[in-house]
Amino acid sequence: MSDGATTSQPDRTAPAGANGGDGGSALILQSVAVGKVFGGLVAVDNVDFEIPRHSIVSIIGPNGAGKTTFFNMLTGLYKPSSGRIAFEDGDITGMRPDKITALGVARTFQNIRLFATMSGVENVMVGQHARMRAGLFGSILRLPRVRSEEARVEEHAREMLTYVGLRPGLHDQMAANLSYGDQRRVEIARALASDPKLLLLDEPTAGMNPNESARLTDFMETLRSDRGLTILLIEHDMKVVMGVSDRITVLDHGEKIAEGPPQEVRSDKRVVEAYLGKQEGE
Amino acid sequence: MRTFLSRYGLILVLLILPVAYGIHDLQVDGNLTRLGENLKDGISNGAIWALVAIGYTLVYGIIELINFAHGDVFMIGSFVSFSFWSTLGLTLTSKGFGLFFGLLITLVIAMLACGTLNVLIERVAYRPLRNAPKLAPLITAVGFSFILQNVGLEWFGGSQRGVDDLINAQKTFTTIGGVTITHADVLAVAVTAPLVALLAWFVTSTRLGKAMRATAQEPEAARLMGVNVDTTISLTFLLGGIMAGAAGLIYALYQTTIWFFQGFQAGLIAFTAAVMGGIGNIQGAVLGGLIIGCIQQISDNRIGGEWTPAIVFAYLVLIMVFRPQGLLGEETREAG
Amino acid sequence: MSAIAAGLRDSRERFNQLPRRTIWAIGAVVLVLLILLPFAYQPASGFIDDCVTALAYVVMALGLNIVVGFAGLLDLGYVAFYAIGAYVIGWYGSGFFASINGSKGFHFVAESASHLPGIHINFLFILVIAALFAALAGTVIGLPTLRLRGDYIAIVTLAFGEITRVFAVNGTDIHPFGKNYPLTLGRQGITPIDPIDLPGLKAFDPLNLRPWYWFGLALVLLVLFVNFRLRDSRLGRAWIALREDEVAAASMGVPLVKTKLMAYATGAAFGGMAGAFLASYQNTVNADQFEFSFSIFVLAMVILGGLGSIWGVVLGAVALSFINSRLIPDVLNGVPHKIGLNFDLTELSFGIFGFLLVIMMVLKPEGLLPERRRQIEFEEGVGADEALYEARA
Repeated sequence: MSDGATTSQPDRTAPAGANGGDGGSALILQSVAVGKVFGGLVAVDNVDFEIPRHSIVSIIGPNGAGKTTFFNMLTGLYKPSSGRIAFEDGDITGMRPDKITALGVARTFQNIRLFATMSGVENVMVGQHARMRAGLFGSILRLPRVRSEEARVEEHAREMLTYVGLRPGLHDQMAANLSYGDQRRVEIARALASDPKLLLLDEPTAGMNPNESARLTDFMETLRSDRGLTILLIEHDMKVVMGVSDRITVLDHGEKIAEGPPQEVRSDKRVVEAYLGKQEGE
Repeated sequence: MRTFLSRYGLILVLLILPVAYGIHDLQVDGNLTRLGENLKDGISNGAIWALVAIGYTLVYGIIELINFAHGDVFMIGSFVSFSFWSTLGLTLTSKGFGLFFGLLITLVIAMLACGTLNVLIERVAYRPLRNAPKLAPLITAVGFSFILQNVGLEWFGGSQRGVDDLINAQKTFTTIGGVTITHADVLAVAVTAPLVALLAWFVTSTRLGKAMRATAQEPEAARLMGVNVDTTISLTFLLGGIMAGAAGLIYALYQTTIWFFQGFQAGLIAFTAAVMGGIGNIQGAVLGGLIIGCIQQISDNRIGGEWTPAIVFAYLVLIMVFRPQGLLGEETREAG
Repeated sequence: MSAIAAGLRDSRERFNQLPRRTIWAIGAVVLVLLILLPFAYQPASGFIDDCVTALAYVVMALGLNIVVGFAGLLDLGYVAFYAIGAYVIGWYGSGFFASINGSKGFHFVAESASHLPGIHINFLFILVIAALFAALAGTVIGLPTLRLRGDYIAIVTLAFGEITRVFAVNGTDIHPFGKNYPLTLGRQGITPIDPIDLPGLKAFDPLNLRPWYWFGLALVLLVLFVNFRLRDSRLGRAWIALREDEVAAASMGVPLVKTKLMAYATGAAFGGMAGAFLASYQNTVNADQFEFSFSIFVLAMVILGGLGSIWGVVLGAVALSFINSRLIPDVLNGVPHKIGLNFDLTELSFGIFGFLLVIMMVLKPEGLLPERRRQIEFEEGVGADEALYEARA
């Protein structure tokens, strides 16, 4: 695997495991009593949530449980109505999305949101926006520093695309022309390009066959071991969730109803009820 | 909290002009007659703007596009009215039932003409571009606006054109509290009120009206329920055009002048009214129209008509920034 | 129309496939021809006059292209920046402030006007000042639009354009510079305006249009250079990302507020420069020049050429400029009489524009020389216009 990290970030080859011990707190992200209300509708209700560094954690729950809303609060697209969120011990509650990305949180979207008329490379280069310094006048004058930054960023983009499995012949294809699977790859590459510490994946295996899902699951493990990433996942595919997660959190109607290692959660009565409805005789 | 502040903040800002000049009047004249006149004129002018604003708000409510050509449809309404009543032979000497029925027929003709025109614009400018980026239909609407203005220019020339004062617009009808109510004022309110009431009834109680509201809120669901969305949208444009046509006739009789450029200004004023009241909301359009009418009159009378557009647009910008949902609209919901 | 566009597309494809050196060579030849063009005409030729105007419009269209084409912000009030640029030279490059310095005037590298009252700053500095003032105005106008959706941005920018016009027309009645000086001279206009006076050279004069042409050409080349550099830079990508999907862009680290304001400011700066140039060329700053229809005129150039396509916009600007100044008044004007109608085609010019806009959007919304990307957008309805979430700037 190529190590395409830009020189501005330290090398990340931390050991896998639920509790990282390489300095800094053990929790990379923490939410305390976070809630979101839209008009009269309570979408997320009083959720406490922690992500241990270098772990792979999943959020599951029936449709409408508030998972994506919660995600959106973590990435700054929504401002929480209540509660606080901390990333690496710094308060990010209500912070702007681009600032949160700059701090080291990256995400993909449920419905792929690539910049359709840009090529794969350009998409991934945008992903590095926060890691670049070129400004208006520097760009106009093409100062040497800007030129080398552009070259470096483009090279890094191509490395990322290759890393996620997009063959080089497709790198300059317009994103709209790529297959669904390739578009997903580009989206992940774009998220990785900003050299994040925490990666949020919103239903990454949607529309994939079991083969592809398995490969993505392996890939997530690689990301953790190779690049020391922490991963938070929203998923519906139980096989993926059970297979890859260190811990699962279950939301229903905006509330956390269960949390724990996969085995526990799988047999938790409340979780079963939430998905299947109340069983008869109870 | 923010919603509360922004609504009352807006109301406060709207009250600045009338209150300031009210105090000024009390000091200078010792009474509020002048302000009363301004407000009275504001309401009758505002009735005209309300009718045009309804067209904007209905169309925006259903397809979320600003019908840029709508103001010029209103202008065509004035032009058609004048042409038609002249053809009918209505002149300054006409009176009584002849005048009344003549104008009534003119009203119907103007409404039909503008309704049809609006539907035509929908077919040519909006329908083919329904899936295009939002820029496209906006541009075609601007294009239509220009075309209509040029039609007006060729029709009656580039200068303002005086028309026969058929209803004796400035003659006093009655006086209330020192404020003169003229024939023009009565006309404006007497035509607008029933039309708005009729429209409100149509939208709430008839099947077609309900189809309109359903399509405005949830086009997909409406389609699944068997509503013909295309026809409903055309119907919306038709109704908007009808209102604009009526407004055109009233304007011609009220102002006794028509001008090819009147639609551009009227359009922006009426759009401001629609946004101020709450876009998509008929009562909002009426309320907004009346309020803008008052602001406009106060500005014309106190500051100078040449500055009025700047003041109205300043209000528009303020609303768009601080309270885009207007007075009666709801906070835009974020997607869940 | 389709045939023309298809023809252009094919020629463009073939052109793009030529080796780079050939392309540069052709470009150099074209540039030399453009430079030599004025010698084929009289110094005061009407054709060169039209060319100079066209060059100024190219600069404006390229400016608006940044706002509407790159960043996707629907600006219907671009005329405001033209006005600001024009008034900058109206104030600081003419006899407007006649009583300054005891009527002796204030001069800055202004040889030809060195004995005249008023403020006279050299045109090269005026260009910079005009760009800065306009950029500032662009930022101010852009601020309220930050959270608005597409058509609302259109209306707010239109409103600002109109407010600017109202101040231009009625500026005679307000006196922000002190008792003796109104803001503007309204419809009467501030005139005369200093001609361009480059250090070491004679001041340009109204009878010899060639230097004006060359200056305009140089300005266009400068603006083209800046455009190409920006398009292929971090900022350019951020603009396009913004246009495509604001929410995704923000989530990738693009700061929405800053990026949008930079688009407004940069686009405005070009408008300001072109405005100052035109004011000097036309020797007047007259409020009648700053109507809403001008904003649409420039927008039509950008759309005709192809939103976001730099060469397309150049083509669109030149085409519309010449249609406006030559085709309609000279060539087509005789046509109605020939077919028995009795009207002046110039009167129909904005109706014709309206018609052109409608036709364009219905038949070929991506323009004559579309940026390849845009073709996809218009054909497949691709590219999120609506933010799924209310993106927080």
